[in-house]
Amino acid sequence: MSSSAKLKNASLFLLLFLAAVLFFVLDIFTGSLLIPVKQVFSILFGFSDASEEIKTIVLDFRLPKALTAVAAGVALSVSGLQMQTIFRNPLAGPYVLGISAGASLGVAVLVLGFSSVLSLSFFTISGSWAIVLMAWLGSGLVMFLILAVSIRVKDIMTILILGILFASAASSFVSIMQYFSSETMLKSFIIWTMGSLGSVTHSQLKVLIPSVLAGLLIAFFSAKSLDVMLLGEQYAKSMGLRIKTVRMMVFISTSILAGSITAFCGPIGFIGIAVPHIARLLFKTASHHILIPASVLLGAIILLISDIVAQLPGMESTLPINSVTALVGIPVIIWIILKNRKFTSV
Amino acid sequence: MENTKVYIRLNDLSVGYRTRKGLKEIKHSLNLSAIPGELVALVGSNGIGKSTLLRSLCGFQDILKGEVCFNGKPLNLYKSRDLAKILSFVSTDVVRVQNMRVRDLLALGRFPYTNFIGTLTRDDLVIIEKAVDLVGLHGFEEQMIDELSDGERQRAMIARSLVQNTPVIILDEPTAFLDIRNKYEIVHLLHNLARNEEKTIVFSTHDLNIATSEVDKIWLMLEDEVLEGAPEDLILHGYYNKVFASENIIFDEFSGDFRLKKTFRGSFSVEGPELPKRWTIHALARAGFIYTDNARNAAINVTVSDTLKWEIVTGTKEPAGFTSAYDLVQYLLKKQMRE
Repeated sequence: MSSSAKLKNASLFLLLFLAAVLFFVLDIFTGSLLIPVKQVFSILFGFSDASEEIKTIVLDFRLPKALTAVAAGVALSVSGLQMQTIFRNPLAGPYVLGISAGASLGVAVLVLGFSSVLSLSFFTISGSWAIVLMAWLGSGLVMFLILAVSIRVKDIMTILILGILFASAASSFVSIMQYFSSETMLKSFIIWTMGSLGSVTHSQLKVLIPSVLAGLLIAFFSAKSLDVMLLGEQYAKSMGLRIKTVRMMVFISTSILAGSITAFCGPIGFIGIAVPHIARLLFKTASHHILIPASVLLGAIILLISDIVAQLPGMESTLPINSVTALVGIPVIIWIILKNRKFTSV
Repeated sequence: MENTKVYIRLNDLSVGYRTRKGLKEIKHSLNLSAIPGELVALVGSNGIGKSTLLRSLCGFQDILKGEVCFNGKPLNLYKSRDLAKILSFVSTDVVRVQNMRVRDLLALGRFPYTNFIGTLTRDDLVIIEKAVDLVGLHGFEEQMIDELSDGERQRAMIARSLVQNTPVIILDEPTAFLDIRNKYEIVHLLHNLARNEEKTIVFSTHDLNIATSEVDKIWLMLEDEVLEGAPEDLILHGYYNKVFASENIIFDEFSGDFRLKKTFRGSFSVEGPELPKRWTIHALARAGFIYTDNARNAAINVTVSDTLKWEIVTGTKEPAGFTSAYDLVQYLLKKQMRE
C-alpha cells in the first residue's frame, strides 16, 4: 500500500470513529423525553444531580439500547462480511441465508420446549446464557447445512435459494411448535419475538457483549486467511491454507455473532449484506484487515442511525428496527445487483 | 529470490477419482519427469485428463497409485505449508475479485511466509517488485484486477505465483482465454522464467503449435498412453498424428501444421528457390494436393521464380503462368472441377 493510501485510510477510520461516537451520543439523546445534552453527559460520567427518574431513563434504558445497537451493527456486519468471502457470494448475509431464522428456531426449542425451567429465570444471566446458547446452536445448524451444500454447489443463486428455503423451514418448525405449546409457554415466546434493541437488559448485555467480542476476535484472527479465500479454494490450498480450519473459524464466528444478536433483538435484516459493501465502496479494498474494522465502525453507525430514525424523534411511538434496517439495506442491495448483473464474486 | 532447484518425477502414477463404486482411473502408469530450467507442456485433446493430472500434481486430489516426487520426496510427505514453498499454482478460472489491486493480489503470494497478520517486510516488497518486473506489469501495480485485460490478468496471476517464490510452477490452461498474440507472449514469458530463474514449469494446453515452438519437453496425453519427449522427438516418431486421431485432424510433419483430413486431388512437384518453393507447397497442400519430391511421379509440375512468377510445366494441356499463389490454386481447383 502506498503511503498516500495509508493516510487516506487512517483519516477515513478516524472520521468513521468520530461519527460512531457522535451517533452513539445522539442515540442516547433521542427519545420521547427530551433530556439536555449536558445532563446526558454528566449522567454518563457519573456526576449528575439529575432526578433518579432521569438517571434511570439514561442509564437503564437508553445506554443499554445504544450499546445493543452498536453490538448488533458490529456483529451482523462482520458476520455478513465473512459469509460473503467464504461463499464468494456478494449477496450472502446472516438474514438471507437463514442463519437468523436458525437462531429463532433454537430459541423456540428452548422457550417452547423447556419453558417450565426457563420461566423462572428468563431475564437472569443464566437464562440469558441458555437463550444465547440455543441461538448459537440454531444458527450453527443452518450455517453447517449451507456450508455442506456450498462445497458441492458453487452456483451463487442456488445457495441463496437454499438459504431462503432453510429459513422457511426453520420458521415452519417454529409455527408448528407454537401450535402445540401451552398458553404460558407461548406467552414467554411471544415476548421474546417482540424483542428489539430496547428490550435488552443490563444482565443480558453482560452475555451479549462478551459473545460479540468473542465472535469478532475469531474474525480478526481469520483476516489473513479470508484474503486468500477470495481467490478461491484451489489458490488458497496451493498457498498452504488449511481450508477446513478457516471454514470452521468462520462457522463458529458467524454462528456466535448472528446467533447472539437474534437471541436478544430478534431477526434484523439486510445489515449483514449491505454494510460490507459500503465498506468496500469507501475503502476500495478487498483486504479483510481493513474491511473488518471498517464493517465494525460502519455497522455501528448504521444501526445507531436506524435506531434514531426508529425513535421517530419528537414522537411517542417507535418503529420496529427491522423495518428501518430493511429500508436502509435494500437500496444498497439493489445497487449491488444492478452493478454486477452477472454474479461472479465478491 | 533464492534459487532452490526442484525436479519432478512421476513414478507409475495413476490419477482419477474415488467414487462410491470404487476407483475411477483416468490415466495410469504415468512415468514422466521435468527438470529445473525446463518448460514442459502437458498436451492432449479436451477432456482427456490434463486437469486431473495437474490437480494430482498439486496435491488437490488424492493419487490412486504410484507417486509424485519433488526432489525424490513423495508429495504426500510434505506438509501443506512446506509444499506451498515448493509449488505454486495458476488456475484456469478467471479470478474476478472486485476492489483488489494488482499489488494486493501479488502480496497474497507471500501468504506462506508472512506472520499471522500478514505484515509485509522490506524483503517481501522487493520480491513483489521483482515479480512485477519479470512479467512486465510495471505501472499496473495500483490497477484493480477486474479492470485488467485478459492478457494482463494472466500476467498478474503468474506474477502472484512468482511472488510465492516456488521452484515449481504449475499452470492449468494459462492461455485458454487469450488471443493469439497474448497466447504466444504468455508461453514465451513462461519459457524465459524457466530458463532465467531456473524454475521447473509445467502447463497444460491443447495448442500443440505454440507448445512446439516454445517448450523444452512435451508430456503428450493420448487415449491409451502418455509419452514424453522434445516436440521434435514426438513428431519424428509420428505421435503428433495420434493426438487428434479421433477428430479427423492430421499433422503435416513437413510444415508443422495441423489440418483437417482432405480429399486427395493428385500429386505435384515444385522447382524453384527455397522460400517461394516452401510456401507453394504449403498453398497446394492446403488445397488438398500431395507433394512429392520426384518430379517424374507427379501429376503436376510447378516452377516458381525469385520474382514470384509461377508456371505449370506439365500436367495441363498448355503451360500456364501466374503472378500469385492464389491464382495458381484457383486455376488448378477449377481445372479439376471441369474434369
